[in-house]
Amino acid sequence: MSESTQTNGPGGGDKNTASSASNTSSAKTAWQFGLSTLERFGVVIAFIALFAYNAITQPETFLKPENLRNLLNQNADIGVIAVGMTLVIIAGGIDLSVGAVMAFGAAVGLITMNALFEGSMNETLAVIIGLGTGIALGAACGLLNGLLVTIGRIPAFIVTLAGLIGFRSVTLAIAEGGEIRAADGLTALQTLGRGGLEIPGVLDYYEQPVIFYWNILIFFAVVIAGQLLLGRTRLGRHFIAVGSNEVAARYSGIAVNRVRTWSYVLVGACAGIAALMSLMRMNSVSSSGVGHLAELDAIAAVVIGGTAMTGGRGRVWGTMLGVLILIMISNMLTLADVEVYWQGFVKGVIIILAVLIQRGKAN
Amino acid sequence: MLEIRNITKQFPAVRALDGVSLDLAAGEVHGVIGENGAGKSTLMKILAGLQPPDQGSLTLDGQPYQPRNVNDASRAGVVMIHQELNLVDDLSVAENILLGREPRRFGLIQLGRMRTEAARLLTEIGANIDPRARVGDLPVAQQQLVEITKALSQKTGVLILDEPTAVLSERETTLLFKLVRRLKERGVAIVYISHLLPEVLDLCDRISVLRDGRLVAETDPATADADQLASLMVGRDLVDVYPPVVAPSAETSRLSIRDLSVPGHASKITFDVAPGEIVGLAGLVGSGRTEIAEAIVGLRPISGGEIQLDGNLVRFRSPKQALEQGVAYVSEDRKGRGILVDLSCVENTTLPNLRAYGRLVPDRRRERATTANWIERLDIRCPDPRSPIRMLSGGNQQKFAVASRLDAQPTVLLLDEPTRGVDVGAKRELYHLIAKLAKDGLACVLISSELPELLGLCHRIAVMRQGQLAGVVDGPTASEESIMRLAAGVGEEAA
Repeated sequence: MSESTQTNGPGGGDKNTASSASNTSSAKTAWQFGLSTLERFGVVIAFIALFAYNAITQPETFLKPENLRNLLNQNADIGVIAVGMTLVIIAGGIDLSVGAVMAFGAAVGLITMNALFEGSMNETLAVIIGLGTGIALGAACGLLNGLLVTIGRIPAFIVTLAGLIGFRSVTLAIAEGGEIRAADGLTALQTLGRGGLEIPGVLDYYEQPVIFYWNILIFFAVVIAGQLLLGRTRLGRHFIAVGSNEVAARYSGIAVNRVRTWSYVLVGACAGIAALMSLMRMNSVSSSGVGHLAELDAIAAVVIGGTAMTGGRGRVWGTMLGVLILIMISNMLTLADVEVYWQGFVKGVIIILAVLIQRGKAN
Repeated sequence: MLEIRNITKQFPAVRALDGVSLDLAAGEVHGVIGENGAGKSTLMKILAGLQPPDQGSLTLDGQPYQPRNVNDASRAGVVMIHQELNLVDDLSVAENILLGREPRRFGLIQLGRMRTEAARLLTEIGANIDPRARVGDLPVAQQQLVEITKALSQKTGVLILDEPTAVLSERETTLLFKLVRRLKERGVAIVYISHLLPEVLDLCDRISVLRDGRLVAETDPATADADQLASLMVGRDLVDVYPPVVAPSAETSRLSIRDLSVPGHASKITFDVAPGEIVGLAGLVGSGRTEIAEAIVGLRPISGGEIQLDGNLVRFRSPKQALEQGVAYVSEDRKGRGILVDLSCVENTTLPNLRAYGRLVPDRRRERATTANWIERLDIRCPDPRSPIRMLSGGNQQKFAVASRLDAQPTVLLLDEPTRGVDVGAKRELYHLIAKLAKDGLACVLISSELPELLGLCHRIAVMRQGQLAGVVDGPTASEESIMRLAAGVGEEAA
């Protein structure tokens, strides 16, 4: 190629190379444009594609409001945890203890509720205090994790792995390995779980209004709060700065340890919120079942949503789509009669694909 | 040996290279100089296979040379030694040198043969390094030698050195030059990139000057001098590199350091800085200059002594606290500590003082307005303040690093090597900026390894040697020699 350029003489040779180069470069920019769009909005495209696929292949069932409602309701608690996980990962950490903290918070919350109710407290007040206890306990567990990571200088992976084992064990001990049920006559919790928002004109098969449960609304509220926190607040900016380069952040006068601790407190509080959501939905706590593997589902949603595991870069709305994508995949597989054992495999493949597609941005 | 013909490379915003042609001959040291953004790095990346050119051709030993990646390039014998070294800290010297080419028998690595082979290669280039040492434990200069050894162990014909002396002390630099000359005799073609004109003139057989992506001159070092090269790089004559020294506005001391000791780095250091004064901190690399500044802002423990701010005793626990009380520090390590490369220019500017833009929710409009204000005041070239700061040249990044500290309205500014890796034109602008800040009443401490800039800017210069204060000299009347004598411990009488 270069030899022919030389023998053709400068004029002709230059022209040839110039035109071919401009062709390749324009093709390249188009390709790069396509690629960067895919990197940035791949999760949106995947979401739309999956939604369309589900809607087309199951026109009878998938789009029914009550079906969408149920799918969301079942996974809203994991979604809330995933939002907290996004923040902690952006701040350069990780929290593996969320599932166990969720179970711990739910168990203690329900026991508190029962005790207060049986101590003849007003039912509503007992429920509110019980739920509040769950959230506060979650935040307290997060604080403990955060202090061990920052002041104790133990890697987050280790601290929260210990939390995963430890908090689950405490929960199992409290419930003696079994289930804790709401006290007899305590119906307010169940009523709360069935309550929600009716959207006018949205009716189910029996022409009854579809109630979008509070859980679903809590999920979306937490997503919005998380995105605002990340994008608009000082704390959010500090999360990004610390996750992006901890040393530079310290030199910039940021209280790095305080910022990192806050990220654990927030993810712990999210686990506490998830705990009360599961209480409202189930009206009981299974000490081994609640929040089981929630940490992995949450991390999967974060990764699919395009947040970098190395910290400093991420988005809460991406995590929300990640949660919805995971829901639709398992729904799709269930309805397609794929055995439940295989669903994890498909999720694994999706996670790898998501990282492969979004990797370009990191370089 | 390597012919570069009409190389052009277009990036979205700029034409990084515009029809550059160069010839590299075997056994020649070819200096490539230019301001930041002149296209040096892009050209070298193309040679080393990190980026393909848009147009033009490369010919190596008469064969077309189109490397698609670094491995292609090194197989063809073209190796680049980066500013940031590419070694595995946790492996030994021998393992690093033979990484990926370990001698094996029955699939197992022969540790003994690997060590002797590495030792042979190291002695060949005259490096006195234990092949069993862990690379992470070696000083940077020796790491660089390991990397050069690694490059030369693979039949390298073209060796590209990208600012190799930026991390070296003077003695290590001399050793590197000796090595480069020896490699030259062995017939290796060497491309030498540097900002330091005297060393380029000293070492190179030919010097190519790049400006705005074009080759503007190819000169013979025997007939050129540093001033000539500098004006070729900038494209105009550089006058008034240093602003006039204005006397400090007040006699009182704003920052007083009394017998300050930093364990392992400095002991009993005493100096004062008045409002409007620029005090230089000179000394060889490792003499404890940076550590003093870091200790003042609470990044290092202090084992003794006092820090006074306007006569009040202070002891900061963190840069956050120091900044809140008006003492700002701009680190020498710009990319690692000074700025956050992935954040936008706006976010970098307001980060240290984000509280001023809203306790909980920063007012983004005000953040942008402030940034625009700093861009104008410091004459920063920044097409879009919302884009990541890493897109800017080193000089402009440095100005943002300074702006971010100034945004907290400090009364004391500690600048650590503010012009490192910054080109000639931007250096001049930074000098004028520092002088102007001092004139406005800021107390400045300027840490620098470049004596001319200390002499040109400072009212007084404190010289450190091995953690001790060797003496304080008067800026306008001192000479490079008098400072070097103090720094190297030749004469004690000046103290």
